[in-house]
Amino acid sequence: MSELEVLKVREEVLQAMYWMRAEGLADEPSARDLSSFLAVPADTLATYIDRFVAEGHLEATAAGFRLTETGTAAGKRSFADEFADMTSGAHGECGADCTFCNSDPNAAASCLEQNLNGEHAHQH
Amino acid sequence: MPTSTDTAQPALPKNFLRPCLLLLLREAPAHGYELLDRLRAFGFEGSDPGGLYRALRKLEGEKLVASAWQRSGAGPDRRIYELTRAGRKELHRRAKALAETRQTLASFLGRYEEFVALDAPRRARGRARERDPEREEAAARG
Repeated sequence: MSELEVLKVREEVLQAMYWMRAEGLADEPSARDLSSFLAVPADTLATYIDRFVAEGHLEATAAGFRLTETGTAAGKRSFADEFADMTSGAHGECGADCTFCNSDPNAAASCLEQNLNGEHAHQH
Repeated sequence: MPTSTDTAQPALPKNFLRPCLLLLLREAPAHGYELLDRLRAFGFEGSDPGGLYRALRKLEGEKLVASAWQRSGAGPDRRIYELTRAGRKELHRRAKALAETRQTLASFLGRYEEFVALDAPRRARGRARERDPEREEAAARG
């Protein structure tokens, strides 16, 4: 495994484990749970998980694996960084703040159709 | 949760999870667990958090959905998802495609029902439920 691969898989695993824990789905998922959750073969994942335990990002428990403090911080941070620049819309597009488009379904349809055709008729 | 190879009942359109998630987020921003619950209304009966997680990540990667941490008093912070402006447009595209599918299905079903009434079994089941076995037994005795 290359270091670049390790970095990528580490982020994937830690982010997924943080998400599962935050949603109350699993605090200590097993290797099989993680494999199913991330849709990757269990054998492939197992080697990486051993390494993350050795690094101190995860700790093995009776049920499976748990995020350490380091792993928790890394999982949360990488999740936030990955999508940091994706929240804003482009100029001329309408969102939840547009009073015209949200006034009724016909107005919304009209605006969306114009947008799909590269037009935009009303002001915000 | 059904995916492109799902076996959910009733049969769902291919990749139906995607427009469903967009619609749910059009209705209101939501956390992952809440989305899992609300997806049941669209026929996603089996819980598949992994499928949901991967779908949300894909939608976020395509900038159709955005998420942010929401502080939690008790446990770890949770990710809350909302529809972006691009997501609204994608939802509109998908809804229009589904409307076309609906017309095609209506045409198919209308032609099939010239031979077989599809709601007849349902009506028959309803009639069976209306029967009162005790009364019938009493009538047979008496």
